[in-house]
Amino acid sequence: MKPPFYPRYIIIGLACLIFGAAVAFQMVRINYTPFAMELIAKSEDYQGVRKTIYPPRGTIYDRSGNILATNQIGYEVGIDLKFVTDPESIAFAAASILDDQDYVNVLEMASTERQFEENRYFVLSSYVSREKIDELTLLRENYAQRRQESKSSKPSLAGLVWTPMQLRFYPEGTLAGNVLGFYNYFSRETAQGVFGVEEAYNRLLTGKPEKVFMPNDPYLVEALPEIDPGASLILTIDREIQYMLEKTLTEAINWSGAEGGTIIVSDPTTGEVLGMASTPYFDPNNYWEYQETFPGITPYNRAVGTAYEPGSVFKVITMAAALDSGVVNLDTIYNDTTGVYWVANTWPIYNWNFGAWGQHDMTGCMRHSLNVCLAYIALERLEADLFYQYLQAFGFGRSTGVDLASEANYPLRLPENNQWSVIDLATNSFGQGIAVTPIQMVAAISAIANDGRMMAPHVVRSVIDRGQQYNITPQVINSPISEETARSLTQMLTTTLKEEASLALVDGYDIAGKTGTGEIPTQFGYTSGLTNASFVGWGPSNDPQFVVYVWLEKPTISQWGSEVAAPVFRDVVEQLVVLMKIPPDNARLQIFGD
Amino acid sequence: MKTRLIQAYKQAPWRIQLQWIGLFLLGVILIASVTGVYLNISAQAAASGRQIQSLERRINNINNEITQLTTDLAYTRSTKNMMARAEELGFTLLNPHEALYLEIPGYKPKEDLMLAPPRENLISESLIVRSSYRTSIWDWILAQIQAPLITPAQIEEETTP
Repeated sequence: MKPPFYPRYIIIGLACLIFGAAVAFQMVRINYTPFAMELIAKSEDYQGVRKTIYPPRGTIYDRSGNILATNQIGYEVGIDLKFVTDPESIAFAAASILDDQDYVNVLEMASTERQFEENRYFVLSSYVSREKIDELTLLRENYAQRRQESKSSKPSLAGLVWTPMQLRFYPEGTLAGNVLGFYNYFSRETAQGVFGVEEAYNRLLTGKPEKVFMPNDPYLVEALPEIDPGASLILTIDREIQYMLEKTLTEAINWSGAEGGTIIVSDPTTGEVLGMASTPYFDPNNYWEYQETFPGITPYNRAVGTAYEPGSVFKVITMAAALDSGVVNLDTIYNDTTGVYWVANTWPIYNWNFGAWGQHDMTGCMRHSLNVCLAYIALERLEADLFYQYLQAFGFGRSTGVDLASEANYPLRLPENNQWSVIDLATNSFGQGIAVTPIQMVAAISAIANDGRMMAPHVVRSVIDRGQQYNITPQVINSPISEETARSLTQMLTTTLKEEASLALVDGYDIAGKTGTGEIPTQFGYTSGLTNASFVGWGPSNDPQFVVYVWLEKPTISQWGSEVAAPVFRDVVEQLVVLMKIPPDNARLQIFGD
Repeated sequence: MKTRLIQAYKQAPWRIQLQWIGLFLLGVILIASVTGVYLNISAQAAASGRQIQSLERRINNINNEITQLTTDLAYTRSTKNMMARAEELGFTLLNPHEALYLEIPGYKPKEDLMLAPPRENLISESLIVRSSYRTSIWDWILAQIQAPLITPAQIEEETTP
């Protein structure tokens, strides 16, 4: 028998069930409304702070461990409205201590009514120096003392906050600035390395930023994850050599009236760049002045960023190709009877002084830098295919792959190109009508100085990542000529320097080298009378340990490389042998034997 | 039993009440103890949390200080400053023509700069401890769900070093 009021119980039970189900449904539904999502997101703001931790950018050292680029601490100064009690004092402190602040603006900011989370914090200044922060700290302490004495809540700097942040610092200033590049740190989210090593190794140096959640609830606090700093780099650059090069280049430019210049010193046995000076010099600490220092198309680093017609230094490559292929030997005679060589009976090629030099062997051709002789070798002995094969084997027409950003490359004009004509073959043989970068020349010459093995030029020697040092192994990129050719060419160019009593000669050392005077083309041809004066040399001749390349752009004191670039080369080498601790030949032979 | 209880209650009703009171108090003490332990642990956790935050701040400050000192040192040792100091101390640049080279028996030229230990070959982690000793029950269940077709023999084969 059913109890009395049974249907009523059923109805009440069902009502409760429906009500309960409705409540449960509503609870679930509310959780998925856009408003709820917004609320959940907002609640997270109160639970803690989501922060991106940027690892410190890696340090850059020279080959002896001297720091070339590192980080220093700057401070971000801001106003946290939550704590502000005395806007006037904050405005006074900011305006009197921080350079870029004025009283009215800061007062307006500090007096803002705090309504939303978004306007709780205002940044006043970024990268404020430690000295300024010390002044603010002192002022804050003074105010605290005054409050204590007067038993009042003012004056107070509560709400004026500063937090440390890292900024890039180059302790050497302009030294090696053109090699290092710079780091535009002002906007941390978009900051990156620009030019040089900073750009080429940006990812390694930056490391991996990590997003972490820092809860306000002390029960949830955990130690922050270990974040590896960005990798550090040890360069092949020697600080002492770099300093010497930059000083010598500055003096050379002042003396010669050149518009600019570059000097590269490299170790031909490894391809390591020991020093690389390029004008204009630049202090990466003030990277925002970049546009003023490099107006228009001025390259950041001429050594890798500018292709130019090198002139007679390129004859070394033509002669290397001719000797290696066997089309000539050291005793091959060229008879220069007229001082002119006609290309396809159409275009005349003249010597540098428009004179006829008579009979000469190959050493004589190089000694007197005879254009007609080299044009003859290229056209009648090597011929186009073989000549350009050698040029490509020496790495011309493609980038060297040096680990510096913004390397320029000017493609070779080859016989299969429509624009090529036979006159190109003649002019290319003595370094005209062809554009190369100084680093390409250094890489190519390193093959001659290193028994035929061409080493990849590079500026980074080691990478230090996660506590381990990775040393970069020097790489042979090609062997364009044989060891025998390399040695006889070195001997030939040692003799030529001695015979012509070159201004490049260095007392006590046998040096191989070649001058270059490249005419600068204009839209009307080679009519400007301006030149690129160059010199490439390596030594000591019997055991080459350095290659030095000098290029002065548009010197006014003289147009000839032999008069402008050769003495600069000598100045460099005289100091270089001391810095590299290379004894004179007689002392070296005495100590080490042959 | 029931009769005896009723009889006992009739004779001394306070005994049963006392039993109930005792039971209630025991419950209260138990709850108080658990609450006390919980509060204590919570307080310790909170204090540890604050300590972690404080230590993180200290680590940051120390790292910043190290960075700044390294930078100051690098600046002090920069070429320009070193040259100026050398000049102050009366040193002059060597004239290359005056350099004298001597043979020093046993002299070893400067070795390559090593600022960190050299790279070691990464040895793949070998399974010295069986996975059954390193896997939680939850991980094991998940593994079973994800790979239901692996036979026990295969698992044994996989986990045997």
